[in-house]
Amino acid sequence: MRSFVPITIDATWVAVDMATVREIGGPLTWIALPTATATLPGVSAWRGRAVAVADLAAVLGAGERLVSPTGRVRTLYLQQGTSTLAVPVDAVREPLMIPDDDIRPSRVRSDAFCLGEANVEGHTTLIVDLGVLLPGYRPAAAARGLQ
Amino acid sequence: MVHVHDPRARWGVPASQVLRIIPAAEWQAGPAVDLLAPMGPVPSGGAHARRVMIVYGAGDRETALLATGTINIDDVDSTNVLPLPDTLAATAPEVSAIVVAHDASLSLLLKPSAVISPDDSRAS
Repeated sequence: MRSFVPITIDATWVAVDMATVREIGGPLTWIALPTATATLPGVSAWRGRAVAVADLAAVLGAGERLVSPTGRVRTLYLQQGTSTLAVPVDAVREPLMIPDDDIRPSRVRSDAFCLGEANVEGHTTLIVDLGVLLPGYRPAAAARGLQ
Repeated sequence: MVHVHDPRARWGVPASQVLRIIPAAEWQAGPAVDLLAPMGPVPSGGAHARRVMIVYGAGDRETALLATGTINIDDVDSTNVLPLPDTLAATAPEVSAIVVAHDASLSLLLKPSAVISPDDSRAS
């Protein structure tokens, strides 16, 4: 049994490990980097330091891509190893516990970031580890247990 | 800091690293570097649209950075200069930090010594 925070981007439901969530904030101001990737397109300021911005729409291949300088309605700040990611999303749902047995291999995605899927409020929800977007990232022990 | 209000992204260079700013047409030593080229074409229009900022680039070589848009000089508190996270440093070697303005808007702080002139990149 583990805690997850369900989020939505466009019509896609995604859940991240609650243990990685440092803060849930409002809209993000960010700036694009000229040579960045689509999944990590830029940078923002958070708690007196610069953090990478992850575009979940680019990661999932669904929804409209982020356009600097504005983000989405809410922002998740995730601690992934020694790095922090700012992840703009459309909505954040109530955290919930999901028994390990209720997490099944994803039927539609085989991407490295996708640890499995579960039903949340009647929606098929991808369980993701966005740390895989970071170079040299080692999945946490908790996340490895899902793979 | 010398800030360039390029419509694609605001960027700046520490004033101490700027040798001079001149009309682009006066720079005859080679092509100017458009560091924001991956973000789109150079915006057109405006009398100040075609200037170049001369800095010491890689190898201490005088390098011209295309400076499109209004240019101004600001005092920046060092606490508002936030180094780029390691996660992104490798993908953007010419950017050393972001600068947070009073209105919370952001700009890119460039590292001139990491800018490779087009002449040098062709030679390598």
